Amino acid sequence: MTDLLLLFTQQTINGIYLGCLYVLVALGLTLIYGVMNQINFAHADFVTVGAFAAFFVATRWATKWLGLPDTTGYLLSIVAALGAGALLGLVVNAAVFAPLRNRGDELRPLIATIGVSVLLENGQLALFGPIPFQFDSPFAQHTIRLGRIFFSQQSVLVVIVAALAIGGLYAFMKFTFLGKALRAVSQDRETAGLMGINENFLIALTIVIASALAGMAGALLGPVIVLTPFAGASVIVKAFAIVIIGGFGNMEGTIIAGILVGIIEAFTVQYLGSGVIDLVVFVLLLVMLVVRPTGLIAERREENV
Amino acid sequence: MLRFPALKLAALAVTLATAVPAAAQNVIRVGVLMPISGPASYFGVQGKEGIELALEQVNRGGGVNGFRIQVQYEDSACSPLQATNTVKRVLEQFKPHIVVGEECSDASLAIAPILEQAKVPMLNAGSATNQLTESGYKYVFRIFPNAQQQGEPLGRNAFTKLGARTAVLLHEKTNAGVDNADGFAKAFEAAGGKIVGRIDFGRDVNDFTPIATRIAAMGKVDVLPTFGLEGQQVRLSQALAQAKVVKGGGGSAIQMGSIWLPWGYDAKAGQAAVGYIRIVQFDPTEKRKMVTDFNAAFRAKYGADKTPTHINAHAYDTILLIAEAVRRGAKDSESLRDRFSKMREVEVTTGKITFDAKGQNSDLSVIHFVETQPDLSWKSLNW
Repeated sequence: MTDLLLLFTQQTINGIYLGCLYVLVALGLTLIYGVMNQINFAHADFVTVGAFAAFFVATRWATKWLGLPDTTGYLLSIVAALGAGALLGLVVNAAVFAPLRNRGDELRPLIATIGVSVLLENGQLALFGPIPFQFDSPFAQHTIRLGRIFFSQQSVLVVIVAALAIGGLYAFMKFTFLGKALRAVSQDRETAGLMGINENFLIALTIVIASALAGMAGALLGPVIVLTPFAGASVIVKAFAIVIIGGFGNMEGTIIAGILVGIIEAFTVQYLGSGVIDLVVFVLLLVMLVVRPTGLIAERREENV
Repeated sequence: MLRFPALKLAALAVTLATAVPAAAQNVIRVGVLMPISGPASYFGVQGKEGIELALEQVNRGGGVNGFRIQVQYEDSACSPLQATNTVKRVLEQFKPHIVVGEECSDASLAIAPILEQAKVPMLNAGSATNQLTESGYKYVFRIFPNAQQQGEPLGRNAFTKLGARTAVLLHEKTNAGVDNADGFAKAFEAAGGKIVGRIDFGRDVNDFTPIATRIAAMGKVDVLPTFGLEGQQVRLSQALAQAKVVKGGGGSAIQMGSIWLPWGYDAKAGQAAVGYIRIVQFDPTEKRKMVTDFNAAFRAKYGADKTPTHINAHAYDTILLIAEAVRRGAKDSESLRDRFSKMREVEVTTGKITFDAKGQNSDLSVIHFVETQPDLSWKSLNW
């Protein structure tokens, strides 16, 4: 393999790994937008909560208290983060989003997401302090080498989990009654209600699924990011960009855009420098808005999600 | 309720006896601007620990020369905008005699002209950018070595002691990161070395694998001077090790770093940190009495298992220096500035302080190089 091909392959692998991480964060955002037509500004903090939940389960509860091996502890922590995200979504929806939504005002729930974000950030700051936590995945310690190509076991795990999450979500949406009902709500909330679909339950379910995905993303991002109460903010801007590039509320578009942004980022580092990553990503976003405002996958609005 | 006039008078006398000295108590007001929220808030938390310990010691027994040091903490969030707004409010409301802070260079550069105009000295302990003491300010004093003072010995010793001939600069995209990298490059190239690459990164970069891949593709590189915050440096070192670039991952390049990295970095980075060479100003393993006393007092206050970092020590030193200026007769902003400008070889935990005409500490006598060993301990390099 020539050096150039080797470099191309290596940066593509790096990009796919990074893209999968972004997809996991962006999926929840796009799901909420697709069903509720609302942006959740607290999504980054759900990711952070997931990361902290995974950290404490992996490094304290599973390994120290239950005596599980590091690898099992970390895998368990991914499930725990998923659960923590789901629980948080359930509570926040019941306490904040649902009461505001029932008042029939679209702006208030949107502003409330900012409030929830500030609340979660500062709550975590009070609980955990600002000093970065060192969250290492046991899978990140092991590097797989295929000739001169390398990647960590952690990156393989991230790709597998992302694929499972995408597949699971796709199957849920396409083949289950609840998934079909969700799609019905996203297409026309009022008509779905007239058909006997419990709109509030399905919106709550959407928030729970999106939050669970965010929590799980946190568990996988934890060993990558600098884990502080503000950690999620470092990926959320790109996640928003991915959702817009992919087509707001469109799952397939989000997946393609996420992987694309990951790969673009890796090659930007290689050929332009990491200092211009944001510039490149947001130029792409602006170009998309001008050339193809519907996003990469230009489906009809009602077919999103 | 007191019923008898005599008792009321006695109570009043007791109240006055205690109230009058308190009212007459001289106070030096210190505004402390640190990041208490946001990604850099660990600076503020550790800084506060150091300051609280120093205040306890300095104010014990009534203070210095009849002056107590009173501190007001403010969150400047490592942000130029927030620091600017905060310092204006502090000057208006708290009326400090001196301001300690900020930690981040960009925020420090933002508040320096405001304090200069207000004629309130700024005592800085954590910003590295050269501009802070190269802009002609008369009220700015810095105990932290500037970027030139950190980068120059790194570049010179990389060439002379390590025999390095090629380097790739890695730095965060801030005034401090750029200045440190420039300082290294200037000394390294002047000695005959070659900078073969320069890679900057924002504070929002999480995954450093693409950067490590790019460096691996550059072929053999001798040294990698890196300037960034602790969290990112840990991830960067781990990515470089994974790509087999640095010694800690079985490669040949030596990663070098500055005073920025606090104690504890090596444990966090693990084996990736092996072979890492950096300059340190505060070394908790140092045997100087000032340091051992500080370590003991710090552990007594915050826990036997806690080792103070350079952030704790620098903040502690700022209060010691203010107390020393007061001991030398300072009682207001102008006299504080005057006493600082005349300080020569004042010993604190982070070494000796001698402010030059620009307000920069010029005494680098305690700065030394350490190398991370396979057991992650530090080996002093006697360079």
